[in-house]
Amino acid sequence: MIHVQDVTRTYRRGRMEVPALRGATLHVPRGQFLSIMGPSGSGKSTLLNLLGALDVPSSGSITLDGREISLLPDAELSRFRRERLGFIFQFFNLLPTLTAVENVVLPQLLSGRPREELLKKAHGLLEAVGLRGRGHHRPDELSGGEMQRVAVARALLGEPALLLADEPTGNLDSKTGAEVLRLIREATRARNLTVVMVTHDPKAAAVGDRLVRLADGVIVGDEAVGAAA
Amino acid sequence: MWALLRLVSLRHMLGAKLRSLLTLFGVAVGVATLVGISAINRSVLEAFRSTVDTVAGKADLVVTGSAVGMEEALLERVRAMPGITHASGALSVVAAVDGRPGERLYVMGVDFLDDGHFRDLKGVDRDVGALADDLEFLNSTDRLLLGERYARERGLMTGDALQLQTPSGARAFTVHGLLRESGPVKAFGGAVAVMFLPSAQEAFDRGGRLDRLDLAVGEGQDVEAAREALSTALGATLQVERPERRGGSVQKMLLSFQMGLNLGSLVALLVGVFLVYNTVSIGVVQRRREIGTLRALGATRTLIHGLFTLEAALFGVVGTALGLVLGRGLARVALRAVSESISSLYVQVNAQDVEMGPWEVGLGVALGVGGAVFAALRPASLAAAVQPVEALRRDVAVGAGEVSLRSWPVRLGALLLASIYPCTLIPPPAENFPVGGYLAIFATLMGGTLCAPLLLRWLHRLYVRPAEWLLGVPGRLAADNFARAPIRTAVPVAALAIGVAMAVGITGFIRSFQASSEKWINQSVPADLFITSSARLAGVRNNPMAPSMLDGLRTLPGVTDVDMLRMLPHDAFGLRIFVVSVVMDVYHRHARPTVLEGRMPSPEERAQGRVTISENLSRRRNLHPGDTIDLPTPTGARRLTVGAVIVDYTSDQGAVFLERARFTEFFNDDRVDTYELYVEPSQREAVRRAVTERYGKAYDLYVLTHAELRDEALGLIDKAFKVTYAMEALAVLLALLGVVNTLLAAVLDRTREIGLLRAVGAARPHVLGLVAAEAGLMGLSGGLLGTGMGAVLGWTVTHAVGERATGWSFPYQFPLATALGMLGVSAVCAVAAGLFPARRAARLDVVEALAWE
Repeated sequence: MIHVQDVTRTYRRGRMEVPALRGATLHVPRGQFLSIMGPSGSGKSTLLNLLGALDVPSSGSITLDGREISLLPDAELSRFRRERLGFIFQFFNLLPTLTAVENVVLPQLLSGRPREELLKKAHGLLEAVGLRGRGHHRPDELSGGEMQRVAVARALLGEPALLLADEPTGNLDSKTGAEVLRLIREATRARNLTVVMVTHDPKAAAVGDRLVRLADGVIVGDEAVGAAA
Repeated sequence: MWALLRLVSLRHMLGAKLRSLLTLFGVAVGVATLVGISAINRSVLEAFRSTVDTVAGKADLVVTGSAVGMEEALLERVRAMPGITHASGALSVVAAVDGRPGERLYVMGVDFLDDGHFRDLKGVDRDVGALADDLEFLNSTDRLLLGERYARERGLMTGDALQLQTPSGARAFTVHGLLRESGPVKAFGGAVAVMFLPSAQEAFDRGGRLDRLDLAVGEGQDVEAAREALSTALGATLQVERPERRGGSVQKMLLSFQMGLNLGSLVALLVGVFLVYNTVSIGVVQRRREIGTLRALGATRTLIHGLFTLEAALFGVVGTALGLVLGRGLARVALRAVSESISSLYVQVNAQDVEMGPWEVGLGVALGVGGAVFAALRPASLAAAVQPVEALRRDVAVGAGEVSLRSWPVRLGALLLASIYPCTLIPPPAENFPVGGYLAIFATLMGGTLCAPLLLRWLHRLYVRPAEWLLGVPGRLAADNFARAPIRTAVPVAALAIGVAMAVGITGFIRSFQASSEKWINQSVPADLFITSSARLAGVRNNPMAPSMLDGLRTLPGVTDVDMLRMLPHDAFGLRIFVVSVVMDVYHRHARPTVLEGRMPSPEERAQGRVTISENLSRRRNLHPGDTIDLPTPTGARRLTVGAVIVDYTSDQGAVFLERARFTEFFNDDRVDTYELYVEPSQREAVRRAVTERYGKAYDLYVLTHAELRDEALGLIDKAFKVTYAMEALAVLLALLGVVNTLLAAVLDRTREIGLLRAVGAARPHVLGLVAAEAGLMGLSGGLLGTGMGAVLGWTVTHAVGERATGWSFPYQFPLATALGMLGVSAVCAVAAGLFPARRAARLDVVEALAWE
């Protein structure tokens, strides 16, 4: 499913070059739930951004479903993100002016799919993530856990092949965090989705099948966790 | 795209109501001034044309001579020419209505016996066709038919009396009947009266004269060929034109005046466009994370670009729609002022109504919507360039943008500034149309705007210490904040600068012109008392008087000399010049005109046909001492020799000065526009009283002292620019809205920072002072930049527009008092504008502000 081969990513800070990722190689098969851990500045968010086609590597290649994503032009990349990827962010990134259900359908509206059909499906998904009857609330009327559930529903609506989660519980209390993780785990298992999740929290990491540890831009550990261990 | 527009953009616009409203208002006012001025310009020209056209009726050709008309005998000559099937002569007089200052009635003298072919007059209460047999009407010299609209507005009915000014003083006329407002009765805004030709000739001392001949050629005949044949036969002293072509010379004459107004209105629109730029830019900066999220969720760059462009277009569409409505109101308010200015400076028009035609709607939509979309180009590109990873960042950079000498806008700005002088050297491609000057104005405004961010960086260094010294920490922070987002800050500063620059520039031009005019009046128009009829100044609107007053005036105790001035608007050399006649002996005893070339002709030389011409006529037609000119006159073309070129501000088209005796001989006209009296200083008031008592009422006289005449003439210049001043004030107002807009956004962006300041001990007044000081610095910067640009603009308008459009030269004087005033006004107004965002900042709740994300 995902092949990361000798990938580096270097940023410029003024006149300095700061290497964020220094030659990572990784293979993630379909249906796997991969957790990535590491201290701040270890390169885990950089890796996630690269996998999500939000950023391009300085060298090396990333192949998703056999397609080399670092070579795709912007318009193709945008379409790729829309159709193949689902995102869950630490700060939810819901559009404040839209209701929960409108936030859920937004990416698929960009694909030009019929609104009515999307809305019906979105309501179903919101119900599945435990937000029955909350679809018409705006983000500022929802709790943190509820906002993240909306984000999960948004990520799932397009039936992506890969779900990327960046500290999905980082902004939630432990109980709510655990619930959101359970939700992600169940939803992705049922759909045989590949998941890559960046986290600081060992408990959260243990929800997945596999744990990759990063330090100073290099993979320093790769082990099976949870049920797979 | 549409879904996003509806879901995202519209909600943002509705969410930031105040900012959206300010922007809409900006576009609306910009469009309103633009279409308003365009409508006024069109309305004035149409009012003139419709007078020409409707009066011409069904005529194929119209023959006109000078303002003194032509001999009646000519009509018979033309009638006998081959191909002419109908011919009719008419008299046109614009008469002042006694007792109603400023009001004019267009009196037509027509021959009811043969005029039916050309003009279809319909009576309201009387059969016009029967007038040819109405002896009471035909035999009296004081009966007229009045347009129904004018009669209704003045409450006049058949049988009522109406006092009109004639060269022999005020005369009572009786309304013989009312005319329906159709055909020629629609001319001159409906203020029309029709008389029997011989009656009109007698009433207005125009015996044996006609102002126009209306001609019809046989059916199927080539009108143009007939025109050429007639023109050749009648000679250069008479113009033979097709009615639809008339008005062309007036249009040309008004071009520079109207261009000035258009320029002012464009500036207002430009500032409106700046507001859109400001709003869209702020939106892009504040919604960076949202854009990042959209991009992460799959929105393409093109989509984001399109979204912001559409947002701007939406502002453009709604703002333009409002602007068109507002423009109509604005045009109605300003029409009178513009119409008055044109009537006192160029030609009598009576524009009553102004409508938004397809041209104005098209212009408004093109420039309002187009301008808004253009304004969004750069912010939309910046939005499209937002990387999807920005969605993941918590700290989103706000408006920070490095400004360097090397960025392309600054380079372009510098290039534009460097092109100002070369632009002023471009020769005008057409008379009265100094394109180079307009380009130089554009280069000044745009160049200054593009270089503004760089200037702000320099000014920041200048502000830090004084601001800290004056206001302590808030002052220091204000100065720092001022430079934090140089591009965003530069937008309202540049908008303000444009308003200030136009005010300083136009004032500089006006003051320079007034200073030179004043000098000219003191030297060349030195009499002590000036007597005119029906208008305070001789020119287009006054009523020429009979020469019979001369003897009476001469014998008044204290009067030492009397000159008789006649200023005749006259078509010659492709211009509508003034032929000015005075009694040269009297003139030379008192006046000291500034001679630029040659020398003033002696009495013998004058007798041989040597004349003086104005500087602008010399420049316009490249005439110099020794050159001969053929002046068309009603008595044939007169060959004259240029003796001297003098400084003269009588007409922006040009002037030829003739000895009164020669003028009377050439033009068969002995009327007087101004009696100029030289009086012993102690007797001045007594003479003035005596003139007023003896002639005042009968002639509707104005008796002005030299100082009053000077003030009147200089005031005329101010009046001509009244509407322009109003537009500059609007531009400054719009720019202040930009200041509010920017500061509101800055407060929102810095909520956390303000919370932090409050947490570490800053009191509400500190925060209030901080934001207000930032506003003040914006105002001051706008004032400084505007004053600099205004100095350049004033010089450009004076030398590259004024001088090229009028042919007059006058030294440029920088209006220091106005510049200092504008500097103060922009700083103080900006502080006032900043109070609202400042109060909002000061009221922020500390805990909430700190938690704000």
